[in-house]
Amino acid sequence: MKAVVANRLIDGEVVFWKSGQWVERFGDAELFDAEAPVEHAVSVGKGQPTVVVDVYPIDLVQSDGRWAPLSYRERIRALGPTNEPTHGKQAEGGDVIEALRHAAGAARSTGRVDLIRRK
Amino acid sequence: MYQYDLIDKEFLADRSAEFRGQVARRLSGELTEDQFKPLRLMNGLYLQLHAYMLRVAIPYGSLNSTQARRLAQIARDFDKGYGHFTTRQNIQFNWIKLKDAPEILDKLAEVDLHAIQTSGNCIRNTTSDPYAGATAEEVDDPRVWSEVIRQWSTLHPEFSFLPRKFKIAITASAKDRTAAKVHDIGLMLRQGRDGTLGFEVIVGGGQGRTPYVGPTIKQFLPTDRLLSYLEAVLRVYNRHGRRDNIYKARIKILVAALGAEEFARQVDEEWAKIDAARADLPTAELARIRAAFAKTPFETLPARSDAFETAKANDAAFARFVRNNVKPHKQPGYSIVEVSLKAQEQTPGDASAQQLEVVADLAERFSLNDLRVTHAQNLVLPHVKLDDLPTVFATLQASGLATPNIDLVSDIIACPGLDYCALANARAIPVAQDIARQFADLDRAEKVGELKIKISGCINACGHHHVAHIGILGVDKKGEEFYQLSLGGSGAEDASIGKILGPALPADKVATAVDQLVGAYLNVRNDGERFLDTYRRVGLEPFKEAVYAQAD
Ligand code: HEM
Ligand code: SF4
Repeated sequence: MKAVVANRLIDGEVVFWKSGQWVERFGDAELFDAEAPVEHAVSVGKGQPTVVVDVYPIDLVQSDGRWAPLSYRERIRALGPTNEPTHGKQAEGGDVIEALRHAAGAARSTGRVDLIRRK
Repeated sequence: MYQYDLIDKEFLADRSAEFRGQVARRLSGELTEDQFKPLRLMNGLYLQLHAYMLRVAIPYGSLNSTQARRLAQIARDFDKGYGHFTTRQNIQFNWIKLKDAPEILDKLAEVDLHAIQTSGNCIRNTTSDPYAGATAEEVDDPRVWSEVIRQWSTLHPEFSFLPRKFKIAITASAKDRTAAKVHDIGLMLRQGRDGTLGFEVIVGGGQGRTPYVGPTIKQFLPTDRLLSYLEAVLRVYNRHGRRDNIYKARIKILVAALGAEEFARQVDEEWAKIDAARADLPTAELARIRAAFAKTPFETLPARSDAFETAKANDAAFARFVRNNVKPHKQPGYSIVEVSLKAQEQTPGDASAQQLEVVADLAERFSLNDLRVTHAQNLVLPHVKLDDLPTVFATLQASGLATPNIDLVSDIIACPGLDYCALANARAIPVAQDIARQFADLDRAEKVGELKIKISGCINACGHHHVAHIGILGVDKKGEEFYQLSLGGSGAEDASIGKILGPALPADKVATAVDQLVGAYLNVRNDGERFLDTYRRVGLEPFKEAVYAQAD
């Protein structure tokens, strides 16, 4: 399973692709089980340079019966910093946030799917 | 303290107006991200994991109370109420929005602050001794020379696009509180046999993926030739630095490739071609800058303060604070006070807006309106009367700012790591908090004595792990956070690069390992030996044994 992430240009907020929109909660993100729609979302995102920057797909794993980013880095992006549990997206709490907190999984490099290719 | 004049102020206002235009053009799509990124970086604005990060310059780590209050206001109005002091004496805000950045720069400019030279391949903000103008150890006030370099290097047209970033540190005390030997240029001010002042010039130190303790290329550079000599060093670097490979682009690689002697020869050759009358600072200008720092209005006081002695005798907590955080001042009746930003559970180097305001008030009322930032991510009130120490202590204590642990095991340097930084492999902050918790007992921490632990979340080494007594480097092992320990580094006058202890450890084993290292040290230390001294005497083996022997 995959999702597509980016930072919103105007404020840097981490955002997730959802059927043509960029949403702030990982819980609202569109989850993909095929390659073609992932590539489509990434290419649409890259074509919106005044809306988002740094668009890329991430790998997901299952946690507490939900999907969560595979890599630690992407989980921290979906939650906020672990040293300030009330800062960032995690502040609102809830099941999705808990599932993200409990997730574990060994990512190749950073779980950023195209990291190697990009460099 | 040095006051900006009208030219400085206009320059900062213009700069901020220019950035406002650039942001507007980026948001409208007139500028692409590739075009805009170098422009925002020139104003200290990075894109990090959760938001933009703004790094504000604190030239030579020196702030007045108005500036400190403004930083607090920015933390409150544009961030989530806190800022992070860095190992280069700057402050970083973690939650900045691009659309707010121009307004923030305006607000900084109003109090003579900015984010110039905090990023990019230019001469960065100069690091200096946080005890400058206060310690009896110094042969001159290093702020004078830091200010000279600031004025010379700010947007220097020839040196704004160097092969890579360029960091200078200046100390005028034998005890180095600036990590001068691991900077691109370290300047150590010394008094010659004839009483004149000169710089020992150290070039090509550095951290990152290839750490070096820099070699000395000039033993004694007369101070009046400083700028022409720096120009010569930078010219040689600008010409021959490896622009083809970002990992080899720092001056340390060039100096190592050529050898210090050959590099020094090329610098001397270049130096001989420079017209000193053009390049060196005119005496009158130096005198003007020097005068600005000479005017510290100290009172004439007795060396002994009864109020201070009584408080020390009656209050054990105050006495402990004095033992660890209060340092001797050159002026009778005064002291230097270190304000620790390393309380239990605190993020190392973080200060809340409220804490910044408390310290700003203390600086204004009790420290001649002067506040400093240290490279160990703490703050300093440089000029506190002994008489005022009990009051200052009580005020700090009430805001969680009186942790008596300077240079002790819980005074840990940590970079933002994977909690904030886009380049990180692993987190640094929670590891620091674990270790601090392990050593929460202050009696034990004092018994262990000076022990500098420094943590970086990746090999870029922003947390100075290479030059730590115990260095901790976050690595990514198949997607898990692991930590590689190294021993025996030092960033001080006895600089050295640490040696790797053994295989990297998982996050939950790091604090225990540090405990085992400390145990091994206590077993074999001789009287008066710091951890570092013991390590240097006995080597890596006993420590390796302590950490890895029991491991399965
Ligand atoms: C969070 C954003 C940051 C980024 C993107 C960043 C980036 C880097 C990089 C790429 C290097 C390696 C330079 C090289 O090897 O050529 C480096 C080194 C360094 N950084 Fe950072 N850093 C950040 C934060 C910090 C912080 C928070 C501190 C202080 C705590 C800091 C202080 C330093 C120091 C002292 C060095 C080592 C000396 C040097 O090689 O220049 N940086 N940084
Ligand atoms: S050392 Fe690495 S993780 Fe830490 S701040 Fe520097 S670049 Fe980021």
